[in-house]
Amino acid sequence: MGGWSVQLDELRRRIDLVAERGGPEGIARQRRNGKLVVTERIERLVDPGSFEALGQLRGQGVYDERGGLEGFTPLAQIDGFGRIDGRKVVVMAGDFTVRGGSASGAGGGLGQEPLPQERAIQWRIPYVRLLDSAGGSVRSFEELGRTYLPDGNVWTQYDVDLLSVVPVVSAVLGSVAGLPALHAALAHFNVMTRDTGQVFPGGPPVVREATGVEIGKEELGGHQIHTRVSGVIDNVAGSEDEAIAMIRRFLSYLPSSVHEVPERHEPRPPAADAVDLDDVVPRNPRATFRSHDLITALVDEDSFFEIAPGYGRARTVGLARIDGYPVGIMVNNPMHLGGATDVAAGDKVTRLINLCDTFHLPLIDLADEPGLMVGLDSERAGIERAGARLICAVIDSRMPWLTFVVRRLYGVGGQAHHRPRGMYRRYAWPSAAWGSMHILGGAAAAYRREIEAADDPEAKRAEIEARLLRIASPFRTAEATGQDIIAPSRSRAAAVEFVADAQRLLADQVGPPPNRYRP
Amino acid sequence: MIVMSEMAAQVWRVLVEVGDEVAAGDRLLILESMKMEIDVVAPVAGRVGRIDVEPEQAVDEGDVLVELV
Repeated sequence: MGGWSVQLDELRRRIDLVAERGGPEGIARQRRNGKLVVTERIERLVDPGSFEALGQLRGQGVYDERGGLEGFTPLAQIDGFGRIDGRKVVVMAGDFTVRGGSASGAGGGLGQEPLPQERAIQWRIPYVRLLDSAGGSVRSFEELGRTYLPDGNVWTQYDVDLLSVVPVVSAVLGSVAGLPALHAALAHFNVMTRDTGQVFPGGPPVVREATGVEIGKEELGGHQIHTRVSGVIDNVAGSEDEAIAMIRRFLSYLPSSVHEVPERHEPRPPAADAVDLDDVVPRNPRATFRSHDLITALVDEDSFFEIAPGYGRARTVGLARIDGYPVGIMVNNPMHLGGATDVAAGDKVTRLINLCDTFHLPLIDLADEPGLMVGLDSERAGIERAGARLICAVIDSRMPWLTFVVRRLYGVGGQAHHRPRGMYRRYAWPSAAWGSMHILGGAAAAYRREIEAADDPEAKRAEIEARLLRIASPFRTAEATGQDIIAPSRSRAAAVEFVADAQRLLADQVGPPPNRYRP
Repeated sequence: MIVMSEMAAQVWRVLVEVGDEVAAGDRLLILESMKMEIDVVAPVAGRVGRIDVEPEQAVDEGDVLVELV
């Protein structure tokens, strides 16, 4: 028996004080607001018993005259290691019950332990943020007796570095403002809870002061805005459990860092009730199909995880498995904007390509592309720069890429489905039609004088279009260029073969990406 | 319930009339966007209370198409 019982008692007492978090009232308020307490969130995120806190004893003690601990406020954040499906990750979790989750302003100086972001980089393991905090608080100015320069980049530099080293996921589980609002977006995937999650640099009181506008927090930065209009948040979850399930699912497709390839899971055939791909494209060229039907028929059963279903809906994108190997997958969705690439869909695709390239996933592309979205709204949104960014992402990417031309492939939007370098393979289905632009509409522009000069302009236009459509058969192209055309039902087998062949290249592409990942 | 357009498009066909009873999933009208015909279906069962658009009319995202009562 050593003589350390007093010190061991103090250690136990401090651990107990930290565990009290914001106290019974704060915890009760958290529950009333329909939110889980920070420790419950972590327990649900990581494998049972796997959590090990980092910097557990951080906080602010209040001492009596004899140096005894009188009171204690824990840091409004818990960091630590945990395991997800057996693989180690770093978790940081904001705690709204402690001072509204705001940073204390204390700390700093010599001897600081590394930040959790640095640990994730050093250990080469994913970084998960459970956000429920409001950033800096004016209260801390009073405690410090001064203000400070907004030098958050001292820490945020590591959040930026993380994106090119390990998978980063953010969950918005409360009202998140200030730097935590940017943390929400500094991620490869993010999710927010319906009704309890909001994101903004400044909330309703700040908006009122700055602009005089009265607006509620849900209307200002809730899921309707961010998962449908702004695209700042990928997915919405009906509960915190659902949000946590999405985080675990997303990470299951990715390696622990850019230095490894993703793990292969048990291969499975596509769902037994999947559509027959030979029948999926309608004979009527103006009729739509369901993009999800194509994915289900191509990938391993139940393996598709959709990213940003509410934003950029002209493209359906996500992660899936083919013969057990993780892949990125995208399909034009003709049911929204005819499947055209608008700024939102272009953004979404750019991010998917960058994700696949950073973490060594082959890309499977099912193209039915009418082109970049036309019209005044598209011009206002800046479609040309979005298109240019997309083309840069395509050209700069290295991961093996497999395209099936399902139907239309037109114009510069169609061009974004082709990469003339690296391991790239393209098959066309017999339903394919392509060109530098759509024949219908294109004819009206290219033959305008001829059409206008005719006695019956409408008949002339129809005659020219019929003439052009006759030479639009994909088989004529195949004769001249060698473009391979396959029966759609052969696509799964072709994808299985391609993804297996891709593994050798992917293994060679591990390491820091030549292009840093940008959110 | 108000049924809005989810995208910029042109109204191609209106398939219902004011007073029609519709079931959830019934087609109300067809929009045309980027040369694709896109069905607009009733999200819930109801009676068509009013129709705000006619064929060939251009609509924007968020424009009211039909009200179901």
